[in-house]
Amino acid sequence: MSRSRSLIALLLGVVLVASAALTGCAADTDEVSGDGPELSEPGSLVVYSSRNEKFVDPLLDKFEADTGIEVSVLHAGDAVVNKLSEESRNVQADIVIANDLGALEYLRMEGLLTSPGNVAGIESIDENFRAVDDSWVAVSARTRVIMYNKDLISEDEVPTRVEDLTDPAYEGMFAITRGGNSGMIGHVSALRYEWGDERTEEWIADVKDNAGAIMEGHGDIRRAVGAGEFAFGLVNNYYYHQQLAEPTDNNVGVVYPDQGPGEMGAVVNGAGVAVVADGPNPESARVFLEWVLLPENQREFSWASLEVPINPEIEAVPDARPISDYTVHAMPLRELGAYWEDTRTVIERAGLDLELK
Amino acid sequence: MNDLLTRIRVRAWNGQPPDGRLSLVAAIIAVVMAMPVAYVVWRSAFAGADRWLRLLDERVPGLLWSTVSLALGVTAIAVVIGVALAWLVHRTDLPGRRTWRWALALPLAIPPYVGAITYIVVFGPRGWVRDWFGAPPPVSIYSFAGVLFVLAVFTYPYVFLVTGAALTRMGRAHEEAARSLGLGPLAVLRRITLPMLRPAMGAGAVLVILYVLSDFGAVAILRYTTFTSAIYYQMGGFDTLSATVLSVVLIALTLIVLAAEAFGRRRARFDSSGAPRPADLVELGGWRWAALGFVAAVLAVTVVLPVGVLVYWSAIGVGEGALDARFWGYAFNTAQVAGAAALVSMVAALPVVYLRSRHPSPASSALERLAYAGYALPGVIVALGLIFFGIRYLPWLYNTAGMIALAYVVRFLPQAMQSTGSSLALVSPRIDEAARVAGLSPLAVIARVITPLVRPGMLAGGALVFVSSIKELPATLLLRPAGFDTLAVRVWVEASESVYYLAAPAALLIVAFSVLPLKWLLDRY
Repeated sequence: MSRSRSLIALLLGVVLVASAALTGCAADTDEVSGDGPELSEPGSLVVYSSRNEKFVDPLLDKFEADTGIEVSVLHAGDAVVNKLSEESRNVQADIVIANDLGALEYLRMEGLLTSPGNVAGIESIDENFRAVDDSWVAVSARTRVIMYNKDLISEDEVPTRVEDLTDPAYEGMFAITRGGNSGMIGHVSALRYEWGDERTEEWIADVKDNAGAIMEGHGDIRRAVGAGEFAFGLVNNYYYHQQLAEPTDNNVGVVYPDQGPGEMGAVVNGAGVAVVADGPNPESARVFLEWVLLPENQREFSWASLEVPINPEIEAVPDARPISDYTVHAMPLRELGAYWEDTRTVIERAGLDLELK
Repeated sequence: MNDLLTRIRVRAWNGQPPDGRLSLVAAIIAVVMAMPVAYVVWRSAFAGADRWLRLLDERVPGLLWSTVSLALGVTAIAVVIGVALAWLVHRTDLPGRRTWRWALALPLAIPPYVGAITYIVVFGPRGWVRDWFGAPPPVSIYSFAGVLFVLAVFTYPYVFLVTGAALTRMGRAHEEAARSLGLGPLAVLRRITLPMLRPAMGAGAVLVILYVLSDFGAVAILRYTTFTSAIYYQMGGFDTLSATVLSVVLIALTLIVLAAEAFGRRRARFDSSGAPRPADLVELGGWRWAALGFVAAVLAVTVVLPVGVLVYWSAIGVGEGALDARFWGYAFNTAQVAGAAALVSMVAALPVVYLRSRHPSPASSALERLAYAGYALPGVIVALGLIFFGIRYLPWLYNTAGMIALAYVVRFLPQAMQSTGSSLALVSPRIDEAARVAGLSPLAVIARVITPLVRPGMLAGGALVFVSSIKELPATLLLRPAGFDTLAVRVWVEASESVYYLAAPAALLIVAFSVLPLKWLLDRY
């Protein structure tokens, strides 16, 4: 009995210290999160990110060290878009970092982003990779590729066209992501632009049945292909580089699809930064945008994820093929936004679940 | 008109309406507890007939099948394991049975999502089994069988504890009579003990079913979809109204289970005649070692293996510098929100249970039931309700740590209520009356007389809420503000990326804390 009493006393001590701390903290956060620009402190920045946090955190740490601005980041995956629209009447975030330019353009069209005005360094990014009002800017690019396990299949057996994924010869041999994955949505949006909805839906339905597995994310695919669970998988190119860097299960190769004459070219998407409308710290947001466009930080942004910088002046990761090296699908990336919302419906209608069931 | 209202009020309080301020405080607390869930139901009304029909047609049947088949399968396995173990440690001469009685409850200290992660480490497609034997197990951990297994091994203790308690309470008279009439030990078990245990087995089974319906972490990390994970991912997708529709179906499912439980409890009764006496035990004889092997195997699979994996990866993590300033920041955040939730729960539980204990009536029991809403229903739904409600009506609280603490209070207040309530039952109402006669107001009686007397129960309740909050995953994931991660969130994030050396230390800390209230739980049963 006495032991359980001292146990409870100990717990109570923890609880008391903690709640005292919480009261202190709550007072702090109140000051920072009070809405209206006049209350906001210039010294902080709220970032919502849908990228892998391992790619984003070092960048934000460097920003804090360089500028003294205190960053709070929420890594919420694809939920970021939804969260921003839910919060439109009580805006919390200043900056969005996203993996999918379609999502950023969609946010812009919904009126949730704002133009940052004149930003130094914005010219370093080609106009095709920015919003018309510069409210979002792409910094790095990724390409949809087919990554394969060299122990299971040789390069010349790997499909060379995305269309070939429906070939019964490949039945069960490869993995794709669920329909709601942002990379998949971007890819299907590009196919709709190229093929129209009917043919795209047919393709989705056939690929879904032909695939050996439908996975949550590309990280699962690269690990599964690396481990030999599947011969190949449809991923973004940097997942191939990540798997190469693994200590084991790294005997993998890559094929850039649709490179033949008259073929559509590999589908490209980008990762970038956007400025949220009516964010609590607009000045910090501008500072961040200018900071991220500094050459060394553009490099940091792409290198963290092993993606390719969009700015041709910036050195690319070793072994990564620069975009100029292969044929790229011709659609301007901001067109993705118009397809973004519908694409989910198209994917669902074709029978590929947005979420794993 | 006023007359009618007065009559209704008097009837609702069984003729003795309590002090107005006290009932107001209790009513506010109860309504706040029920508000998030009620708000989800209300919002679902705006989903539109199209969305409702589409979901009921396309989504709900599949989810019902995946959820209900899992719940029933897990329950069946948990009941078999739980009852077998309870019988072995309470009715046979199993060596070391006193130790096994508490050791076999230890899996309750391991949150199933943590357990699931350790099983992925060992049995996953790239797990230790593949490294040792060259091939992963023939049955994938990411399958129905895998989820079934993981959930069953971490929920059987519910059945084990409840049936074990029934076995100790149950008089030996029937069993002894049966044996004296010449039945063998197995026949006694089959024809007397098991039928008498049926109510306890039912109660344990309901706990397991409710757990499976509400579990998010384990099913999601094993890539299995039930209602909870579907609702969670729906939040990540585009369509929050669909999430409310799925929530309403899940609420209905939960209420059906609760109603069935209440119905079953009313019908199934057994009388235990005579005071419980120390049992004369079944001699296992040659089966002794087989039984010991079974019990040890269960412990190995449910405790030794998960804790071993966590210790292994934690050791690597510590070597790699996982216990850095960030880690302690997460631990501090966790202690903050869980501590605040525990403190608020201790205070908020008292008016509700006081009213229920001192003014038993339809009104006070209705308030008590309202306060149970967030406890009985899955955390994903509580979080969903708080998000919708918070954005619209509590902008100052939304996206602060306070929102997470509120979610914990809504989810776990009844733990504090149960514990405070059992302390309060030991305090004679005479003491209240004496304090009233001495001139204290009803609220002052609670604050100055009752609180000191029920302090042990309040503290135990606070400790329970604290530990439950540390483990909580879905509401924390959905409600955390930017820059505010807790240990549970880190376990989840790192494990989804297969970065086990960073997930393990946080998970081990959660498990260490979760062992503490087990002692309390074991004393209770």
